[in-house]
Amino acid sequence: MLRQPLSRALALTSPTRAAPLAARRFAEQVQARPDNVEVFIDDQPVYVPPGTTVLQAAAQVGVEIPRFCYHERLAVAGNCRMCLVEVEKSPKPVAACAMPVMKGMRVKTNSDLTRKAREGVMEFLLVNHPLDCPICDQGGECDLQDQSMAFGSDKSRFTDIHFSGKRAVEDKDVGPLIKTIMTRCIHCTRCIRFASEVAGVDDFGTTGRGTDMQVGTYVEKMFLSELSGNIIDLCPVGALTSKPYSFAARPWETRRIDSVDVLDPLGSNIVVATRTNEVLRILPRTNEEINEEWLADKSRFACDGLKRQRLVTPMMADSRGNLTPCEWEDAIVAAARALRDCPPDKLVAVSGDLADAESLVALKDLLNKLGSENTCTEQYFPLEGSGIDFRSSYLLNTKIANVEEADFVLLIGTNVRFEAPLLNARIRKAFIHKETDVALVGPKVDLTYDYMHVGDSASIVKDLATGTSAHEVLKRLESAKRPVVILGADQLKTQEGSALLAYTQELALRLQDKLQDKNWKVLNVLQRTASQVAALDIGYKPGVGKVLEAGPKVVYLLGADAGVVTRESLPKDAVVIYQGHHGDVGAQAADIVLPGAAYTEKRATYVNAEGRAQQTLVAVTPPGKAREDWKIIRALSEVVGERLPYDNLDEVRTRMSEISPALVSYGDVQDNNYFAQARALAQSLQKPVSGKLDVQLKTLEDYFMTDSISRASPTMAKCVQAVLKQKQSPY
Amino acid sequence: MSLAKIFSVSTRVRASGACGVLRHAQYSTEGKTEKVYPPNVPGFKYVNGEFQDMSMTEMSNRAAQTLFWTELARGFAVTLAHIFKEPATINYPFEKGPLSPRFRGEHALRRYPSGEERCIACKLCEAICPAQAITIEAEERKDGSRRTTRYDIDMTKCIYCGFCQEACPVDAIVEGPNFEFSTETHEELLYNKEKLLSNGDKWESEIASNIRADHLYR
Amino acid sequence: MSVAKLLALDKVAKLFNIIKQNGGIRASLYKLYKQEELKDGVLVGEDKFGNKYYENPRYFYSRNRWVEYSEKVHLNYDASQVPAEWYGWLHYKTDLPPHQDPSRPHYKWMAEFTENLSGTTGQYTPYSTTRAKIEPWVPKPKTGA
Repeated sequence: MLRQPLSRALALTSPTRAAPLAARRFAEQVQARPDNVEVFIDDQPVYVPPGTTVLQAAAQVGVEIPRFCYHERLAVAGNCRMCLVEVEKSPKPVAACAMPVMKGMRVKTNSDLTRKAREGVMEFLLVNHPLDCPICDQGGECDLQDQSMAFGSDKSRFTDIHFSGKRAVEDKDVGPLIKTIMTRCIHCTRCIRFASEVAGVDDFGTTGRGTDMQVGTYVEKMFLSELSGNIIDLCPVGALTSKPYSFAARPWETRRIDSVDVLDPLGSNIVVATRTNEVLRILPRTNEEINEEWLADKSRFACDGLKRQRLVTPMMADSRGNLTPCEWEDAIVAAARALRDCPPDKLVAVSGDLADAESLVALKDLLNKLGSENTCTEQYFPLEGSGIDFRSSYLLNTKIANVEEADFVLLIGTNVRFEAPLLNARIRKAFIHKETDVALVGPKVDLTYDYMHVGDSASIVKDLATGTSAHEVLKRLESAKRPVVILGADQLKTQEGSALLAYTQELALRLQDKLQDKNWKVLNVLQRTASQVAALDIGYKPGVGKVLEAGPKVVYLLGADAGVVTRESLPKDAVVIYQGHHGDVGAQAADIVLPGAAYTEKRATYVNAEGRAQQTLVAVTPPGKAREDWKIIRALSEVVGERLPYDNLDEVRTRMSEISPALVSYGDVQDNNYFAQARALAQSLQKPVSGKLDVQLKTLEDYFMTDSISRASPTMAKCVQAVLKQKQSPY
Repeated sequence: MSLAKIFSVSTRVRASGACGVLRHAQYSTEGKTEKVYPPNVPGFKYVNGEFQDMSMTEMSNRAAQTLFWTELARGFAVTLAHIFKEPATINYPFEKGPLSPRFRGEHALRRYPSGEERCIACKLCEAICPAQAITIEAEERKDGSRRTTRYDIDMTKCIYCGFCQEACPVDAIVEGPNFEFSTETHEELLYNKEKLLSNGDKWESEIASNIRADHLYR
Repeated sequence: MSVAKLLALDKVAKLFNIIKQNGGIRASLYKLYKQEELKDGVLVGEDKFGNKYYENPRYFYSRNRWVEYSEKVHLNYDASQVPAEWYGWLHYKTDLPPHQDPSRPHYKWMAEFTENLSGTTGQYTPYSTTRAKIEPWVPKPKTGA
């Protein structure tokens, strides 16, 4: 089976090609490593395994060789020629990125020949590159600019401008996210390789040769991928730039703040670029254990939703029931009165997708002080059996990075591609580089790689768990050395959810017991939202069904915008307090609106789907009268008369660490245990299941608008339109 | 003592007056150096108080001059003479002093002959401005071209160094010749894009001719 | 040295000439009141606002070109009333007055010259040329109730 693109299959394979991985504990040591060879880079000796390229060997001694086409996470192409270096006894300069080292090789990266070769390559590249740096969005962060300053000639010999002029190429339209200015393209083919290797959408390619060479999509077509934004980062020149960010700012005038994404459950690490208190763009930040250096499109481009539909002032319903702006004092006093006058058992708090751990803790503490235990999340999770008592039952226990090491992946009722795009990229990476096989129970969806479709009936999971299935998948799972089972949390909402979870636990733990590698975890539950894990850790009850049936009098919505709590489901006289940052479903149903801060506006803790606590940092200040969420609840508690015992963030975090130390061990993820106990408790729940598994996000247009931020984003709306339009097109 | 002598300036005063250096130069061409103290040599000017001649005649002369207030009379005479002379000052605002084509005055944003604004929002002027007086925000215009939505110059921050016009790749921002833009309030000096463009439209004739005058030296 | 010159009669003659050029004693006195100076010179040109430009090389450099502001403004003359076209000539940047300078551009988008309007109702007041950064949410009014 040839899974790799041809370029990769032909390229020299090397063991170090795969990105260095911090958590590579399960790496196989199948073949003994052959002796390292000694090479000399600028007369510095370095020992590297055979098959290492000259460029990688040079990087080990800290010599950086200029390059355009080479990228450490993509296959080697060797077509830009910028990495030419002189090798002793070699008649011509060699391309360092594609040349494997040989014993005793002496590489000169700064000799006259090397410098002349680089200067020549640079001159050729610049002949056909327009000098439109002043209007190019890449200006200031452009590899071509930097390298022509460092390695290029100080003068131009280009005089042809009046004769035939520079090469000009028509721009392509690849959707509302990526702007193409193809004249600037230097044909490094990074975007082509990314699309076919990582994104799994083989749309890009080249046509023509020499001067007529063009990078494009052959036919005018949108780049239908949820990872498309990454080719903007990959492009070394300004040929591919971000459309929403186009012409907005220069890299030197932005402030960059490290933060964490909350629009999908993985908690990708991001850099928020801001200027004049405005979020301009979001870029990925390398974290090998979560997102490598990629970022999903929603996380990257939904940031313009942070500027639309914002709640900027407290609001209260007037006598007609219309929300009208008011002062903080009035809103807080009104909210406090409602809370105080409410009988504790009729008081309910519901947390939403984007709530941070600090505000979750504060809200729960406040309700507990008022005597209510009714804190719940919008997303349901079965409480039967071990329920949420063991972390292992609701986390990705394998960990995102380790999925790469798996040799068989079973997906149950989840479309990983859109629920957690970067987890899917990991699975695809394993699929391509490690011969990993994937099977799916659930509706047939496009996961960008081939998989065995087992069916969409929940009873298949039962058969697999009890070992009665006749399907090939069972044999494969049982023979796998490192199987991974991923269950989509959406499936647990139904009546059969608890049984499904019980069967999945049974299946995973039966497989896990048989493994030689005792550290390998098989069971994974993929949550849908960024706040769910923290909420469950803190002790929120998943799901609102029961508390709503009881007819609450006061409902405190903490960013709950999924539409689970509606006005119709509440008694007529119920007071709804909404605290959040966007005017969406929740605010529309509210009587009192307290404007909170979005994830770029507060220092807050989020726990990702693998149980890793990470914090966002303040990139911009909250707009208007909006305030940080935990502070609002703290202020409210003062007026209610049940003062919460923390006055600053450190004290809130101390309180969080009392609840669970995992909430404040930032960047760290703990191994989960108590699988056996959870399995034992789940035994009694193994009832027959008969339903069909279905996923919410089936195709690309479903992916873009899933929460209050991305629903407010005009870019995301354009994406949905563009995808729907592309579906009409014959290509 | 003659009246003429009273009203004339003594030779000594003249010799050590403003034209002293000139006189020394004349002597040197003749190859003479007077052996007097203070030395009367070329390139040398004695600036300290001089010895006064203490002969009876000279002393009584000085006394007489003091007694008859001749300095006062001479002073008035100088003033009187200047009434009839051409003044050394210029009668601004009717007469104005000479300016260079490179003079850096009030800023303006220029247009192409077609009327299209030149500025492409590359932000190089904003980056180079040492006083950080320029603020630019840009976005894509409807036709897809790169344009500013905000181009503010705080003229009270500006130090008129001219780096912005040096940095501009399209000659859009220029420091025009105008220096007569003083205002009564501070806020009037916070120029926005419209103001700068209207400055350009008003001053284009002069800005273009200045650039033309200077183009050989660039 | 002639006797006339010795008696500064040429200066007197010049004075009479200046008075004559400025339109008699009354007009001269008025001009002296307005401009604090009385000069003779060649009328080089007049701009569309009625300002007259004179030159007389007999005066020394930087006094040999001057403007007489339009009668319309009377005593409210201001240095910024010299339009851009004449600015260079008056500031000795060029010797060509605008009507003799073919290189000066005349585009249709060029704006009418205005004097410095600070302190008048026509003064420039700064305003933002951008949209608001944050679009606040506006709640939908409840229907019925």
